[in-house]
Amino acid sequence: MQVLDRPLVVSGELAWLGGDTLERHVQKPHEETARIAQGKVSQQREGKGERSFSLERAPQLKVLVDSFVALLGGDASRLRKAFAIARRGDVHGAWSLTLTPRDLAVARTVASIRIDGEGREARCMWMQEADGDVAVDLLGDLAAKMPAAPTREALATLCKGG
Amino acid sequence: MPDRPRMPQRARVALLAAGWLLALALLGLWVAQRLHVGTDLRSFMPAPTTPDQRLLMEQVGEGPGSRLLLLAISGKDEATLAGLSRGLAAKLKSDPRYTQVLNGSFDLAALDARLLPYRYLLSPTLDTQPLDARFLHDELEQRLDDLSSPAAGLLKDLLPRDPTLEVLKLAQRWAPARSPEVREGVWFSPQGEALLLVQTAAPGFDPDAQQAAIGGIEAALRALPGGHGARLTVSGPGYFSVVASAQTRHQADWIGRVSTVGFIALLLLAYRSVASLLLAALPVASGALAGIAALTLAYPQVHGITLAFGFTLLGVAQEYPIRVLSHRRAGEDALASVRDLWPLLLTAIASACIAYLAFYASGVNGLKQLAVFTIVGLLAAGFSTRYLLPPLLPARVRDVAALPWLKRLREAVDALPRPRWIPWLVAVLIIGMLALARGPFWQNDLAALTPLPTDLLQRDARLREALGAPDVRYLVILEAATPEAVLALSERMQPKVDALLARHAVDAIELPSRYLPSAATQRARQQKLPDRAALERALAQATEGLPFRSGLFAPFVADVETARTLPPLTPQAFAANPLGQRLAAMLVERDGRWLGLGTVSGVHDPAALAALAQDDGNAVRVLDLKAAAESLVVAYRTRILQALLAAAVLLVLTIGLALRSLRRAWHVLAPMTLATFLVLAVERVADVEVSLFHLVALILAGGLGLHYALFFERDTGDAAEQRRTLHATLICVLSALLVFGMLAWATIPVLRAIGLTVSLGVAFHFCLSILMAPHAPADHAAEE
Repeated sequence: MQVLDRPLVVSGELAWLGGDTLERHVQKPHEETARIAQGKVSQQREGKGERSFSLERAPQLKVLVDSFVALLGGDASRLRKAFAIARRGDVHGAWSLTLTPRDLAVARTVASIRIDGEGREARCMWMQEADGDVAVDLLGDLAAKMPAAPTREALATLCKGG
Repeated sequence: MPDRPRMPQRARVALLAAGWLLALALLGLWVAQRLHVGTDLRSFMPAPTTPDQRLLMEQVGEGPGSRLLLLAISGKDEATLAGLSRGLAAKLKSDPRYTQVLNGSFDLAALDARLLPYRYLLSPTLDTQPLDARFLHDELEQRLDDLSSPAAGLLKDLLPRDPTLEVLKLAQRWAPARSPEVREGVWFSPQGEALLLVQTAAPGFDPDAQQAAIGGIEAALRALPGGHGARLTVSGPGYFSVVASAQTRHQADWIGRVSTVGFIALLLLAYRSVASLLLAALPVASGALAGIAALTLAYPQVHGITLAFGFTLLGVAQEYPIRVLSHRRAGEDALASVRDLWPLLLTAIASACIAYLAFYASGVNGLKQLAVFTIVGLLAAGFSTRYLLPPLLPARVRDVAALPWLKRLREAVDALPRPRWIPWLVAVLIIGMLALARGPFWQNDLAALTPLPTDLLQRDARLREALGAPDVRYLVILEAATPEAVLALSERMQPKVDALLARHAVDAIELPSRYLPSAATQRARQQKLPDRAALERALAQATEGLPFRSGLFAPFVADVETARTLPPLTPQAFAANPLGQRLAAMLVERDGRWLGLGTVSGVHDPAALAALAQDDGNAVRVLDLKAAAESLVVAYRTRILQALLAAAVLLVLTIGLALRSLRRAWHVLAPMTLATFLVLAVERVADVEVSLFHLVALILAGGLGLHYALFFERDTGDAAEQRRTLHATLICVLSALLVFGMLAWATIPVLRAIGLTVSLGVAFHFCLSILMAPHAPADHAAEE
């Protein structure tokens, strides 16, 4: 990891509010709400004023929005437009979807996004940043199983349904 | 062989004509190569006398506010506009014509890497907060929150070097006080236009340089991908000077063309000879070229307005050949006829030169140039009419005295009653009208003479509001011996300024110390920086329990260590960096003293703002540029009026000496004086406020009127000669009315002021000098 020597764990809710609007509500370690809407990111943190910046300046988030909205909305053509898609599945119904950004400027910060799932359920989302860092989201019920001091390996096992 | 003696004569004439034309062509060529036409409007403003006025003259053109262009890009979707804004800013930043380009995006690359350690001396953080373990821990916890937030990507690169985000604090501090909304990373107006602020290197009142700067912005935008369909809106003082100068030039041009055609038609009608027309043009052309040549020799740069006004004033010279053409008797040798007229012409030339000397005494550079141009031009035109023109004129001409309509007109004029009380009646009328006139007598607002369309002004107000750009009217001036002392003074003023802002007396005041603290403050902050061992200890304590990689903050520790031994950043060193340009524009040297210029936005309470100045002696002043400009105009007018008074005395002496009779001098000067005041009285009754341009026009009309009076006064006792005088004067009056009457229809107040004043003047001078001329005895008319 580039700046930290152990992973940072936050928990909360990520909600798709339709259209291009995503809301990320973090409960731990600090109460914080971030909202991505109309190309702008606005952050509201406990006891602090609102901060906002353009989505253009945070390519990771743009990718996140693109992939989330396309995935959740079932918009395959939008997904294909933004990413090169690779799918893998096994006989037990586990699958993983690797999205590689087509935009070179975006690819300079986000190398790829991998979504692991099983059956109709998406379990994890891995965002591989270009500098080697990884952000892992455990989705749905799995979120409760997040270890206090996770390692990449432990998370990979969790996501594979282990 | 009757033709033989005439051959050499004809050859001599041809030689003279060819030589004259050649001399003019050579002079023209020389002038064309050497002449530098300047467009800085300030050389037409009066010389400043008070410190405020001198500052005004500098600030009017070169102050930070006046060099600011407000840009809005529209006509595309938001993402494209943001891209264009970024592309345009990048291009303009590398162009030396622009000293500052702001579009709302903060570009870390703009800060020289060598300057980065200075952030601890420039940011006020250390004033209230030591760089200790507690503070670092608190900051690092916040960074951890940031890392888990959507903003993480923005932060990761910055974190190892700048964990307290001092660079971002500086960026916030340096952003305009009231920034527009940032969308897509750049400024946007509520109307969805991408907004930019550009400061030009060229002064705001140099229309040509501003035109080039605006053209450069347009070209840069068009060259960007997608820039073709985008609409660029420009505003600001520099843009206004371009618009005003283009407007004035455009109107003056078409009016000039129309009146030239009319003038040629009038002369053709009057003399029925193309040769006469062409020859009559030679003295004026000689005068104009000689005038420009003299200017080129005397001044490094000639102002465009000098040339425009100069050609107008030189119109008086057209009278000389007209007099020669009209006064020629049938069969009379041209030379003899000119010799006859010469004493009078010389008096006219000398008195016109004296009147124009008043311009020289005004002390205004542009008007001095005008005086040199017109005086040299009048002399050249007069002497070439006397010595070069006569041999070229056709041998046989039509004597205008024989024209039947002219005879009848002269009789009608002679038959007019000429009661001796006419001058007194006119004088009483003038006094009455001046007493009746309401409203202010003088127009002190120079801007009122070149008004801008209201939609342009509204647009400017809208963009200025959206960008939070400073007003051009008020400046806070901080004066001290050195730039360093100015910065220290600026820091002392900051609390007072903050108090003003808290009371909402003004929206924002930007002082120089906002960009660079004084060396003393920088040193004080330096003293508070911990040494390497202390900082590493504090850092170790602060990161305890936090997941930051060990050794991550080595660049931070190195920067703090560097900052401890840096010499304080001086304005000179800072100015070498793009970010320092803003400060460089706020610090100016004058007479070995240094001035700091604070810009002011949104003044709600001018009195409270003015009170800023009262506390600190003379070191702090609030300059109201509008008031200073008006006081400047008043001082200017006083000088012109004094010069005019001196010129009037000289004129009376010249005329008295030339005519060798006080009674005759009265006949010349009385109608001229009365007509001049009559014009003034009529304009006052018509609610015209008198400006400098009216005064200049009155002087021109006075010069023309003097000619009429001189020739009407000449009592030759010869009725035919009197008819010729009437003919010549009529042609002169009609041509002047044609040229200036056209100007009176212009929509631009400067042109209208000149046109109206001269037209009225010519008409009054003509009527009064005819009515007050010594009455030609009736028997003279019967002689022929």
